[in-house]
Amino acid sequence: MRIQHFSPLVLFSSVVLTAGLLTACLGSKSTSGGGAAPPPVVNTMAVTVDSGPAAATGAINHAYVTVRVCAPGSTTQCANIDHVLLDTGSWGLRLVRSVLAAGTVTLAAQTDSQGRAIEECESFGGGQTWGPVALADITLAGETASKVPVQIMDDTNTGAPPPAPCGTNGTLLNDVAGFHANGLLGVGVLVQDCGTACVSAASPLPVYYGCTASGVCTAENVPLASQVTNPVSLFAADNNGIIVNMANLINANGDASVTGELTFGIGTQTDNALPPALTVLGADPATGDFKATYASATYSSGATPLPALIDSGTDDYAFNDPTMTVCSTGSFIGNYCPSVAPQSVSATNIGVGVNNGTGRVDFAIGDANTFVITAAAFGTLGGGGGSTNFTWGMPFFYGRKIYIGIDHRAAGTYTGPFYAY
Amino acid sequence: MLQTSTMARRLAANAFVFLLIGCNPLGIASVHAALGGDAASVVSDADDLHGTAESTLLAHYDIQEITNDNGMRVREFLTKAGVVFAVAWNGPAVPDLQRLLGTSFDTYTKSLSALKEPGMHRSLRIATAELVVEAGGHMRAYSGRAYLPRSIPAGVSAADLR
Repeated sequence: MRIQHFSPLVLFSSVVLTAGLLTACLGSKSTSGGGAAPPPVVNTMAVTVDSGPAAATGAINHAYVTVRVCAPGSTTQCANIDHVLLDTGSWGLRLVRSVLAAGTVTLAAQTDSQGRAIEECESFGGGQTWGPVALADITLAGETASKVPVQIMDDTNTGAPPPAPCGTNGTLLNDVAGFHANGLLGVGVLVQDCGTACVSAASPLPVYYGCTASGVCTAENVPLASQVTNPVSLFAADNNGIIVNMANLINANGDASVTGELTFGIGTQTDNALPPALTVLGADPATGDFKATYASATYSSGATPLPALIDSGTDDYAFNDPTMTVCSTGSFIGNYCPSVAPQSVSATNIGVGVNNGTGRVDFAIGDANTFVITAAAFGTLGGGGGSTNFTWGMPFFYGRKIYIGIDHRAAGTYTGPFYAY
Repeated sequence: MLQTSTMARRLAANAFVFLLIGCNPLGIASVHAALGGDAASVVSDADDLHGTAESTLLAHYDIQEITNDNGMRVREFLTKAGVVFAVAWNGPAVPDLQRLLGTSFDTYTKSLSALKEPGMHRSLRIATAELVVEAGGHMRAYSGRAYLPRSIPAGVSAADLR
């Protein structure tokens, strides 16, 4: 874990200057006689796939960014937290409490109308995160969102203990080892992590809880504004989506690291235009899913398309193919180890709603037991047997530029939620 | 609480439905056994989940479906002898699996602890001779099922248990 304390202003000033000059040369929309247009906000930051934070190496296909977090309104109680997992399949920022503490950042839990701390249980595959919901100022590249509701992953058990079914339904994933990460940056197509289902149900979902000082937690409804929120949606500008642009892999059996860029805004600056001739897949605003059908030479997912996601928080192409051999030995038990590898397969994506683009994508699944296990990035890793969804996980991102448009935000002629590539 | 509007909508949508089991306003002592339990546990679940239960009787098994105004749906599959041999769920959160899996919950948790990086996959599959659990989805849209392979009635495919 590396926590750095420095002003982002120093780091970004030269970039801002360059970008400002570029804009001036290209012609700005400034209408004033003498003044130049304000320089555009720096909207691009680095993404790195590597083996993970020092405290928990061994990560595979984890894309990381560095997030600057400050206590609300503070310019001194701030930390730059590295190795936060970039997750386009969730919504909202979650940070491990011990990592915040090491950066000397203390965030206070939000309270409900009864004065109880608002805490949350969020499910990720076979595990859950648990901890309070707090407000924080979040800076990514040159973009800042103030008073963003974030979840504190309570690895130090400072708050109330998790109420069942949190932690009994699966493994508690609050610590750095849980995700091989110091936090999760959920920047997918939606704004809140639960939405209207957590606002007014007669029997509140087991997601948000009000917790007394003595640690008794009761499921409760929480208004949208208090729910854990995609920080991009709260930026002053460049808040309609993101672009993830990852380099391609070099070695078929695994690379030690991969670099890329995360860009904020779609069609808001000169560097984030939405080009024509992309496949644009509208998503269901309730779930964030589009649809897909899967096919190999020996198996098809059938006539009914599956719910589908483009998800950097999943480490493989995840789908059900009962005809594909599953690894029974080695480091990738449960992943696919096709008997003839790489095995060529395909899936056809189908947009939902008005952005009803479709497109077939051919891809390959490698024999995971031939991978270099000390590497961190694998372009043909597959898994997900038994799944009723289709998930374009991190391998899909390598060598692609993927656009993710946020719900109800316009981006050019399109309105989110959508995915485009 | 009885959700009459939900019932009406489900009735219109499902021609097989002919029996409705309402909630249990008197609060029968909870049995808290779903998988491997009996029909009474379904009524208990419907009550405790504040949902509405409906029955669908098929040739080889029956389905009790519990729906809730918070968007959760739980379906419990019963043999003709009245034993729950499968459960399935979907909705914006994951239901309490300890309740739904009943006495099979220990098998589930033991198998779960062997899974690598459970958070980095939006799905999980546990398959033993006694128990199969398949769960997946993501925030706002979770789904899954669990069944007892040895208790599936003759003539029924696991593919039907959704």
